[in-house]
Amino acid sequence: MSQSPSRMLDRWMSAGMLAPALLLVGVLVLIPSVLAVVGSFYEFGITSQNWVFVGLGNYARAMADPVFWTALKNNIFLIIGSIITQVGLGTLFAALLDRGVRRGNTFYRTIIFMPVIISSIAVAFVWILIFDPNVGPLNAVIKGIGLTPPRLGWLGDPNISLYMLLVIAAWQNVGFQMVLVLAGLQAIPKELYEAAALDGAKGWRAFVHITLPGIRNVLMVGTLICIIGGLKVFDLVFVTTGGGPANATQVIGSYTYLQAFTLGNMGYADALSVILLVVALGFGWLQLTLSRRG
Amino acid sequence: MLMMPRMRALVAAATLATLAGGSALAQDAVTIKMWTLDNTGYPEFIAQAAEEFKKTHPNVTIEHQTFPGDPYKTGLQVALVGSDGPDVFFNWSGDDAKRLAKDGLALDLTSYADAPGAFGTTVGEGYLDAFRYDGKLYGVPADAVSKYVFYNTAYFAEHKLEVPKTLAELGTLCKAIRAIDPNTVPMPLGNKTRWKAIHWMTMLNERELGVDGTAADYDLSRPADELYTDAGYAKAFQDLLDLQDAGCFEEAPNATDYTVADTMFSSQASPMEFCGSWCISGFETAGFTDVGFFRLPVVDGGRGDAGANFLVPEGFQVSAKTAHPQEAVDWLSFLVSDDQAAKFVEYTKFMPSNPAKIDTVEGVSPLFKELAADVGTFTQGVNVLDVLLDAAVSEAYLNATVEVLNRTMTPDQAVEAIRKVALEAQAKAAS
Repeated sequence: MSQSPSRMLDRWMSAGMLAPALLLVGVLVLIPSVLAVVGSFYEFGITSQNWVFVGLGNYARAMADPVFWTALKNNIFLIIGSIITQVGLGTLFAALLDRGVRRGNTFYRTIIFMPVIISSIAVAFVWILIFDPNVGPLNAVIKGIGLTPPRLGWLGDPNISLYMLLVIAAWQNVGFQMVLVLAGLQAIPKELYEAAALDGAKGWRAFVHITLPGIRNVLMVGTLICIIGGLKVFDLVFVTTGGGPANATQVIGSYTYLQAFTLGNMGYADALSVILLVVALGFGWLQLTLSRRG
Repeated sequence: MLMMPRMRALVAAATLATLAGGSALAQDAVTIKMWTLDNTGYPEFIAQAAEEFKKTHPNVTIEHQTFPGDPYKTGLQVALVGSDGPDVFFNWSGDDAKRLAKDGLALDLTSYADAPGAFGTTVGEGYLDAFRYDGKLYGVPADAVSKYVFYNTAYFAEHKLEVPKTLAELGTLCKAIRAIDPNTVPMPLGNKTRWKAIHWMTMLNERELGVDGTAADYDLSRPADELYTDAGYAKAFQDLLDLQDAGCFEEAPNATDYTVADTMFSSQASPMEFCGSWCISGFETAGFTDVGFFRLPVVDGGRGDAGANFLVPEGFQVSAKTAHPQEAVDWLSFLVSDDQAAKFVEYTKFMPSNPAKIDTVEGVSPLFKELAADVGTFTQGVNVLDVLLDAAVSEAYLNATVEVLNRTMTPDQAVEAIRKVALEAQAKAAS
């Protein structure tokens, strides 16, 4: 049974249309990923031609490396913190704009969304200035109201610098989450609230029983975005703290960069990348499982 | 026979064509790709030098690209491993340049150095040694950077302050400045990117242990049981803390960017700064001329030498992959020739490796000339830790210094952390 010419044409058309994307993914994602896995079993430097096979040595080294665990813990902290601040505040702002704010709705929406379109690097530099302990406006305000700013600086104190990164990330991304949730809120039929009101369900009960189920999928998407963002975060850390002070804000991305390009441990950096990939796959599986269970 | 003249003409024509072709081949266009940092004045200096170079090498075009300091090292390494890297490139002497030589990415320039007019005939041996590894030359030294404590002469005169002779006096001076105005930061540190404080530690180690006392630890040649065990290392950290306790630095040095520290001094908000010789152009740009300088003072009871000071030779290396090694070396030799070295000073305000015509340079401030003259009197150059040390040990030193300043580590703990990494690096190098 030979295929009809139109079906053959369809197949070729489909393959032709997919080819550019497949080529890009192959060259920029798949091949480097495979090379990273292979490289993770070797010890070599960026400029070195000498590859030494070390088996699982780089993975064992990661398990015994306290900075690796700090970095991984920081990634998880940023994921959880981002979900709370970005999805939480985004939902709050969306609810306020959907129901609470009667005038200037578009103005507030624009203001809150605006940081999303600014480059992450530019955002980081702006916040570096804001946090600067000598010339930054934040310290001036804090001192102005009679309080004492942190002695080691907002980005220099290992106990608070990670929280400051969370603030910067929230400032930049909460607008995006707000728009997502707002779209979800506006898709909920008004009749549902009217019917619920007739049955006596208003306010909090309406929110729990109508609004939350109505935006559940949107919240899942928002959470997934935070997980991905928290795992692949690099630019924010690299520009603001460089992973410091003394590795306190190191994340896997910045630590991989440090190992690869500053210390010249390319094999170890490959192993860190592979571990990050496995963690990302784990989160992906968890998210998929939870969303299927409903 | 009638054919003979025609044959001769044909042979002559063929010979001429061959010669012309040969000449054309010799004149084949050559492009030398050059990478440097984006230091002030560098693009202008290279542009005029490229124009001049064309007069003697009409077929050579210089393609100059500049990069900011922090990502430069990374970008350079990636480019040199790849197929589209630069033919010649800026590099610091020390571990980075050595690693490129060791990995076969930097060209051995030994055989080119002493040709007539080549860089080996214009640059002093002391500079050349900075790029010499295993007896071979792997770079053309172009300049050196040093560090001094710069101070506001007008402020010092107004408040009758004197230049300190010891580190303890420097601490006392900081207290005196705080007594004048508690909000004045005497000498901002700006260690957010970590290299500012490592420059302090470079000199404090020298002041406590001397260059000879540190050498065997720095190059990891000391026996393992003695590596970084000298009490002078912890004492050097303590010196830094003593200055911090004397109020010399800003409240949060590890959160302050070096650009902020530089601005605090050049805007005259702070009366001192431990800054590089490259800072002079920044002072001049800011219109700040009441500037004096002194070397970081010696430590009472230290083993250091007051004549030794911070000195990091910098220069250019040639990629081992270049298709035009002779032209590349000719170009670099030209850059360090007498006339171009003088132009280099004029454009960049850096101290050249070839000072033959430095006195003839116009438009250079008296401050620069005074500083350049002082550099000439050093008894020993002190290379900076984050360039000199093994990369892992350097990283440990950078982090330990941050922690000491933050008081999350004591000096002894800091030295122990560095020693641990140094032992690992030593074992790795031996394996």
